[in-house]
Amino acid sequence: MYAYLFPLYYLAQEAVTEETTEAFSLVAFGNQLVNGIGVVGILLLTGLGLAITFGVMRIINLAHGEFIMLGAYVTFLMQDLFGMDLLLTIPFSFLITGAIGALVELTIIRRLYGRPLETLLATWGLSIVLQGIIKLIFTAQLKYVKSPPYISGNLTLLKDAQGSPAIAISYYRLFIVAVAIALLALTGYLLNKTDLGRQVRAVTQNREMAKCLGVNTSLIDMVTFAYGCGLAGVAGSVISSLKSVSPPMGQDYLVDAWMTVVTGGVDKLVGVLAGAFLIGESSSGIAYLLNDPTARVIVLAAVIILIRYKPEGLFSIQKRG
Amino acid sequence: MAQSTAGIATRSRNPTKLGIVTAISFLIMAALPLVVGSFQVSLLSKLLLFGALAISLDLVWGFTGILSFAHGVFFTLGGYAMAYYLKLNLSAEGNTYGGNLPDFMVWNGLTELPWFIAPLKYFPIAAIAMVLVPAAFAYLIGWFIFRSKVSGVYITIITLAISSALTTFFVSQQAYTGGTNGITDISKLSIVGVDIPLNGLYWMILLFTTFVLVGSWWLTQSNFGLILRSIKENENRISYLGYDVASFKIFIWTLSAGIAGIAGGLFVPLNRFISPVYLAVAFGTQVVIWVAIGGRGTLIGPLIAAILLGQIQNSAERVTQDWQLVVGILLLIVVLFIPDGLVGSVTKLFKKKA
Repeated sequence: MYAYLFPLYYLAQEAVTEETTEAFSLVAFGNQLVNGIGVVGILLLTGLGLAITFGVMRIINLAHGEFIMLGAYVTFLMQDLFGMDLLLTIPFSFLITGAIGALVELTIIRRLYGRPLETLLATWGLSIVLQGIIKLIFTAQLKYVKSPPYISGNLTLLKDAQGSPAIAISYYRLFIVAVAIALLALTGYLLNKTDLGRQVRAVTQNREMAKCLGVNTSLIDMVTFAYGCGLAGVAGSVISSLKSVSPPMGQDYLVDAWMTVVTGGVDKLVGVLAGAFLIGESSSGIAYLLNDPTARVIVLAAVIILIRYKPEGLFSIQKRG
Repeated sequence: MAQSTAGIATRSRNPTKLGIVTAISFLIMAALPLVVGSFQVSLLSKLLLFGALAISLDLVWGFTGILSFAHGVFFTLGGYAMAYYLKLNLSAEGNTYGGNLPDFMVWNGLTELPWFIAPLKYFPIAAIAMVLVPAAFAYLIGWFIFRSKVSGVYITIITLAISSALTTFFVSQQAYTGGTNGITDISKLSIVGVDIPLNGLYWMILLFTTFVLVGSWWLTQSNFGLILRSIKENENRISYLGYDVASFKIFIWTLSAGIAGIAGGLFVPLNRFISPVYLAVAFGTQVVIWVAIGGRGTLIGPLIAAILLGQIQNSAERVTQDWQLVVGILLLIVVLFIPDGLVGSVTKLFKKKA
């Protein structure tokens, strides 16, 4: 019965007891897939802000990675100055990066609506500027952020014959997944169930009509963009303790976040979840079978092919021309 | 974007005037090595090549409306072809381990030269590869993306992904590409046994860049160029008129990659190494910035911007470490306030007065 419900788990347990010496170890592969969940969490978290700025507003924001970086620096600063717990810094980084986002919308993005290539260039310039400013203030040195001590250790899913963990995932990665899904749900709620969300959708669907009906469209634009940037900031705070914090760190997340959003499609927020799951698990799986760089190249190539045939993403509704 | 650059790149009224100006600038540039030191000659040679690279991007972006961050990739592919040639022609004493196997291959446990690198020992093959590899790669990409309904922004994102993927790939294939360090410790350029001195290289590069500039100008003034510009202005209308838009795009895209490849190949003997740094998005961005600042669709603008910015960067980097910040601010200013770029704005100003 168990075997039917969880075939992979069952097989893995078989493999553990048999202690196979083959090159392909099902246990290690399972471990890799479980670790992939952690990657999915990061992709979801970093892609969510883009799902707002690109998905809802159609802004090509190449400075998205820098908003993630700003969030990470807010957390670093709060810890450094006040010894704050990482979790407590999250609201601050949401507010601060959100405010910077609002400022950017007011001064740059607003002038470029309807000119996607110009927006792309301007946000790319912005990304260079933000990196430069942070480098001026904090120097290029790597900074480290302490993760909360109460979210440490690993959850063991499967033990081997000796009783030591064979498949395990760290609690912190599970925490990232939880935060990502909570934010996804919150964003979905805000967008679909609240008055503000209704206005946001109205502006996206028909700006002129929304304006006629008394929606303050420019305010909505600013709030939406700021919210997307705030989400990126939260992502930056949460992942700041995984690796070091440095001015160019956002660049790593930018490409991944874009791949996630483009793969999943942006018509529905759930698309981001699907995109994150597909990319996270497939890169972990391929990385196990081959190696990390090859996995990255293959996944990037797959995404390029996907954009070519389905630029609207895999999980979008078919629109009529 | 469409309305901002329209009108600048119309047919020039006075080709003789332009010809005279070009000829005079060419002569001044050609005489420079007699006046300035070898450091400046080497720097100028590099900047002229960056200028040619910028012109090649202008052909696809300024004239056809395809914004590409992958032109650094084409440049670097040409560069690797030349770097293999120079590496394989190191004399046995110059080679750390003797023999003809490059040092990085020995370190990574290769015992013989891979079949796809071995022919690059011969100059004609390396020279052909320098153009053909980037052009063929571009043709494949172009054939793949332009024969679809993918819109401009997505194409740009694809070029970003290509640049990112190739960087990762070249870094990971250490045994064949030298990994992060790339190909270093290469021999000096010599063709059929004759060593090319720095000044000779400079004149070669000056000729090449002038040829690219004049050739591109001629191409964009022709009927072919008119079609390219109409594609940028209104792709649908031009295809309704019966033109196969995709073929035009693929052609100019491939041609532009070939130019970028030659520029990359000539760059390596000056730079003394090639590495994935030039594949990365940051370098691709640099090229985009030259074109944006110089003025899209002006050809001469990107060339001037590449040379000027390079000179400023060279002096600025002695004073400040934050040159990139300046570049970012410049890019923002140009996009927001000077959409035609420097040369574009100046031309417009003169046209208004006339």
